[in-house]
Amino acid sequence: MVSSEMASSVLPNSLSHTRAGIHISSLDERILKGQTDSKERADRETTQEYFVNMGPQHPSTHGVLRLVLRMDGETVRDVIPVLGYVHRGMEKKAEYVGYRQQVHFTDRLDYLSAVMGNWAMSSAIEKAMKTELNDRIETIRTIVAELTRIQSHQLWWGVLGMDLGAFTPFLYGFRDREKITAIFEETMGGRLTMNYIQPGGLMFDIHPDFVANVKKFISYFKPLIEEYEELFGGNVIVQERLKNVGILDAKSAISLGVTGPILRASGVAHDLRKLEPYGVYAKTKFNVPVGTVGDCWDRYQVRMQEMRESISIIEQLIDNVPEGKHMVMKFGAKIRVPEGVYYSQMETARGIFGIFIASDGSEKPYRMHFRTPNFNNLWAITQMAAGGRVGDLVAILSSIDIVVPDIDR
Amino acid sequence: MNDTSAQPTRRIPITGYFARIFTGFVSLLKGLKITFHYLSHPSTVVTQQYPENRATLKMAERLRAQLTMIHDDNGYHKCTACHICEQACPNASIHVAERAKPALSKTELDTFIWRLDSCTFCNLCVMVCPFQVLQMKSTFESSVYDQRLLIYNLSRYAGPTSTVLAKQADDEARKNAVEPRSVYDGPTALNGFFLAGIPKELLVTLDRKGEV
Repeated sequence: MVSSEMASSVLPNSLSHTRAGIHISSLDERILKGQTDSKERADRETTQEYFVNMGPQHPSTHGVLRLVLRMDGETVRDVIPVLGYVHRGMEKKAEYVGYRQQVHFTDRLDYLSAVMGNWAMSSAIEKAMKTELNDRIETIRTIVAELTRIQSHQLWWGVLGMDLGAFTPFLYGFRDREKITAIFEETMGGRLTMNYIQPGGLMFDIHPDFVANVKKFISYFKPLIEEYEELFGGNVIVQERLKNVGILDAKSAISLGVTGPILRASGVAHDLRKLEPYGVYAKTKFNVPVGTVGDCWDRYQVRMQEMRESISIIEQLIDNVPEGKHMVMKFGAKIRVPEGVYYSQMETARGIFGIFIASDGSEKPYRMHFRTPNFNNLWAITQMAAGGRVGDLVAILSSIDIVVPDIDR
Repeated sequence: MNDTSAQPTRRIPITGYFARIFTGFVSLLKGLKITFHYLSHPSTVVTQQYPENRATLKMAERLRAQLTMIHDDNGYHKCTACHICEQACPNASIHVAERAKPALSKTELDTFIWRLDSCTFCNLCVMVCPFQVLQMKSTFESSVYDQRLLIYNLSRYAGPTSTVLAKQADDEARKNAVEPRSVYDGPTALNGFFLAGIPKELLVTLDRKGEV
């Protein structure tokens, strides 16, 4: 019973709150009462559980994320994410900043889907202002959003390789991401935090070379996806480390509020681009890749397939970018949004990014809330990692593809 | 007393043991083939030798790295000190200071303080400016040894706009209406002189009067 005393003393009380329907301290309570199930009791009689901090400074947590692991030998019994290390009070800060200035905040949430964040914020404001956009704006927005999705998945692919112990994919992923970043730099003037999509249009019109460069990139990157598969996905070690690891079934994925490629890997074909088409997605043809098992391998396959689908979307749009103005609203320092409640959501590279605005009619929001995909996706780790090894946990964490500033915001 | 009882049920089957070793080896070789292809083809190298390639390095035109105030050939700007950029700035990185005793017009710009250290490079100040006074330049090498040197004054003189100055009779009158300002002038911690730890001579060399 040494372990149970340890459990209650090591786990701080602040962690004993409900989390996604599961009471965190319930396991400890069960240990104290001796009401463990037979297998757990059998383990406990012979082994001693201990707690390990993974992070906050850990290369595979992709930022300052702390995971408290309840371990039994090398087996992970329970994962408790501890948040707040990069909390910047974005939502509170947003109440003191005008609507025009809100857009650049979204760059700093999910920085790998910065353009989609800009778009979500802009479309929420446009909904409130009842602004009609022309086809040029919508098409360019869709193209840059899909480019953003590709570069985000490229980075994820490289980092997944590095987390599993292969350094080569990391360099290759960044090498190809650089091509998209250069396109962004040319058109938007920024490489990571672009602040490009603005309420009422775009900050700049596309660069004269944009279309040619995007086509060049597509012809360059198309064969490279197959190379990615050969180099990394085809490797047996990678497959062994990803297959049947971190299984998340569809039911618990939905109940946890998981979105994006993780939800689709669990077998739920939920994609806002299909269900509630925004931009010009309704005009394009693309498939929603869906997994069958819901393990890390499915998540890998879904993201690889999404890159191919994104390329096909861009191919359908890039030849016929309509003519028109790139901005239909006056670019003033202040925007006055009519009183009301507005919500806008986008399918970013990681899932549904929603923005809720409560406006009192002034130039600053009365209340602002960000529904960030990574926050919900992270909690899936509690289900995925329980019962696996520490090495699996690293693979699972990488397959979730978290961005910590998006979780803490 | 071992913890193997708690292991998950991922056991390697004995059947096909050697076949698995073989396929694993083949897949490894397939991956290595790609790696060796890149190793043996120097044309695929993408690494840029910075700073050796500074002379040929071309940054994108729109790259936002340094805020500048546009001065015309005579060295006069169009800023009327209307404070719109200051209002648009999301985190108060811009401070527009007016002259206490304007010589010719109602308000005249004294110093235009821009804090690079807190700037988010969102480009809103450039976009909202009604007179297109500001510009984001792609000169990205802005590192200095002291944080306080990141607080710039963008205007080269304190005085009226170029339009007002053009109405003056002669160069002499124009000269009397303006007062030169250097890059570290202004109501900030940096008055251009005397900083703890920074010798005055260094400040003179850092003064980018001709550039910014």
